[in-house]
Amino acid sequence: MSLVPGMGIVRGMGLTLKRFFQPKATIRYPEVRADVAPKFRGRLQLLYDEWGTLKCETCFQCAQACPIECIDMGGIDTKGRFHVHWGPPETYGERREESAVRRSGRPVADAAFRRFDPVDTSALDEIMERHDYDPKALLAMLEETQAEYGYLPVGALKHISRVTGAWYAYIYGTASYYRHLRLEPPMIETVPAAGEAHVAIEQSYRSALDASLGYAVRGS
Amino acid sequence: MTTFLTTPREWPAILTGRVAALAADPSDLDTATRAGAFEGLRRAVRDLGRTGTIATVAASGLRGRGGAGFPTGEKWRAAATRPATERYVVANGYGADPAVRTDATLLATDPWGVVEGLAIAAFAVGATEAIIAVRADDAALVTLLEGAVLAAEEAGFLGDDVLGSGSRISMTVRPVQGAYMLGEETVLLKALAGRRGQPEQRPPYPAERGLFEKPTVVNNVQTLAAVPWIVREGGPAYAAIGAKASPGTILVQLRGPEGGGIAEVPLGTPLRELVRLTGGLGTRSLKALLVGGPTGGLLPADLIDTPYEYDALREVGAHVGSGSIVVADDRACVVDLARLLTKFSADEACGKTIPCRIGLRRLYEIGDRVATGRPKPTDMALMADLAHDVAASGLCEHERLATLPFTSGMRYFRSELDDHLLRSTCPAGVCHPIAVGAAATPGPG
Ligand SMILES: Cc1cc2nc3c(=O)[nH]c(=O)nc-3n(C[C@H](O)[C@H](O)[C@H](O)COP(=O)(O)O)c2cc1C
Ligand code: SF4
Ligand code: FES
Repeated sequence: MSLVPGMGIVRGMGLTLKRFFQPKATIRYPEVRADVAPKFRGRLQLLYDEWGTLKCETCFQCAQACPIECIDMGGIDTKGRFHVHWGPPETYGERREESAVRRSGRPVADAAFRRFDPVDTSALDEIMERHDYDPKALLAMLEETQAEYGYLPVGALKHISRVTGAWYAYIYGTASYYRHLRLEPPMIETVPAAGEAHVAIEQSYRSALDASLGYAVRGS
Repeated sequence: MTTFLTTPREWPAILTGRVAALAADPSDLDTATRAGAFEGLRRAVRDLGRTGTIATVAASGLRGRGGAGFPTGEKWRAAATRPATERYVVANGYGADPAVRTDATLLATDPWGVVEGLAIAAFAVGATEAIIAVRADDAALVTLLEGAVLAAEEAGFLGDDVLGSGSRISMTVRPVQGAYMLGEETVLLKALAGRRGQPEQRPPYPAERGLFEKPTVVNNVQTLAAVPWIVREGGPAYAAIGAKASPGTILVQLRGPEGGGIAEVPLGTPLRELVRLTGGLGTRSLKALLVGGPTGGLLPADLIDTPYEYDALREVGAHVGSGSIVVADDRACVVDLARLLTKFSADEACGKTIPCRIGLRRLYEIGDRVATGRPKPTDMALMADLAHDVAASGLCEHERLATLPFTSGMRYFRSELDDHLLRSTCPAGVCHPIAVGAAATPGPG
């Protein structure tokens, strides 16, 4: 605040006058292009090809690379399941719900998503004890955990991580890879026979092959 | 129980030689030893020694039956000469191709050949841990193998003091399940180590750095089952069988319009004779031979005299692969077939490399557009480009081979593809909603 009345406007006009004699910032775009900082990435825009198909492959590369985590992504994994974490589990798993609210104001849209409920770990401790807490036996531990709980609760995976010292991402990677392991409770409570998850897929391949060869009645 | 197809009498039965004797009870060790089981191991341990055994296998020219045809002797030597505190040998009995039962049938009809072959491999490379990896869904087979390993151990063929030589071989049966890719050797080793089943870059090959980072020999069960015979009869005797660069016999899974089954055939047998083994074509005419399973190549009828052997098949755009040979007659459409196979390969891709995960899916989608009459004008060029890029950027063999159905289709059945693309017709009358036969689109004139 100034004591002399009118001093503010004089200062303002002074700045205008100073700028007036400075070199102009206008560039003759598009003939001339401004220098852009090498880190500038522009606006994120998803492009369509000439037939109107979205070019984004949901490959998660950008979400994984984005340093400020401004890219979120939902998608279907190679096995046709929609329960993938947004982005790689290593980066997103733990903060998923919190980030979804922060960024979109809405909770996670994925219906299969469950909070990381703590589980009763006494059975789990016995299983790990049997395998000497050795991550080399992780697959067997996970199979037995699934037999115990019916599925692999995230709380159980975290407990295994804490106790064996194996990274959560490592355990999640193994758990989400094998078809017979599941991360959600099954719709119908049955104990699947060994190898069942894969056998059905193989059967459908065989019958599709027969149909394609004309050895069996063709489907639609 | 699957039986073997009858083959010409003069074809040698190296893998299936004991099957008849064991037919009543494959788990009977006494019958098996009377029929010659574990004589090879005895000879390896008592007469040949480590390097002698490896030299014998190398001299036989035996190549891996898991599909790639890598020389077995070389693989063993690499693992044996690598300095290490511990080495492993693994019998790959996973049998990934859903339409092929050769490896499982071999294990179920004569488990002893594989147990003995694996013991010889362990002895030769100096491994103390031997693992037989099989599918978890075949519970009866797992039990049979566990029994066989136990019996062999009690008889002194395995265990702490193999045939009084002081060598230790402890063998275990490990059931694995849950993915097609488990057949690939680096994936199988990951599963055995409790890790996510995605392939590793090779080299380093498992023989240098495998299970738990130790030198590991992974061999197909058929490769191992041939080893006792080789050690018994000598390398040159085996090298004299089959094709010159690919000696020996192999189990093939045949399927044709008139029938099929499993047969032991010498490598180098012309495809024509294998088609004859399926019972021929009846009244139908031959359209294509799918050689190599889901990632196999589609060969036209005029290549029917190609010898069934690693190098010759690679040259024409197919491969031994899972040992499957499927006869497609005039009822099949090449586009429809290639689309189905590519979809399977795309669904089963592990997702580690992006060209494989996304490229194969796009390849399937292009094929699907062509088959359903909605192709884009650039689709044929796009398909060729994409197939090339996927194969060229491959991390594992799956990715390099999975484009074969479409690339061989484009190579040999171009006119059929063009019928779909340019004239919206499917000559075989399979694809819909494309009009059936030539009566489809009204021509300009
Ligand atoms: C996708 C894929 C699936 C495979 N499946 C099998 C299989 O089921 N059984 C097998 O023995 N080898 C399979 N292989 C080959 C193995 O990677 C490996 O080459 C083989 O087990 C080595 O044994 P060999 O030297 O006796 O052939 C597969 C390879 C790939 C790329
Ligand atoms: S997900 Fe992959 S394809 Fe989609 S925008 Fe990101 S980087 Fe591009
Ligand atoms: S199957 Fe895993 S990269 Fe191709």
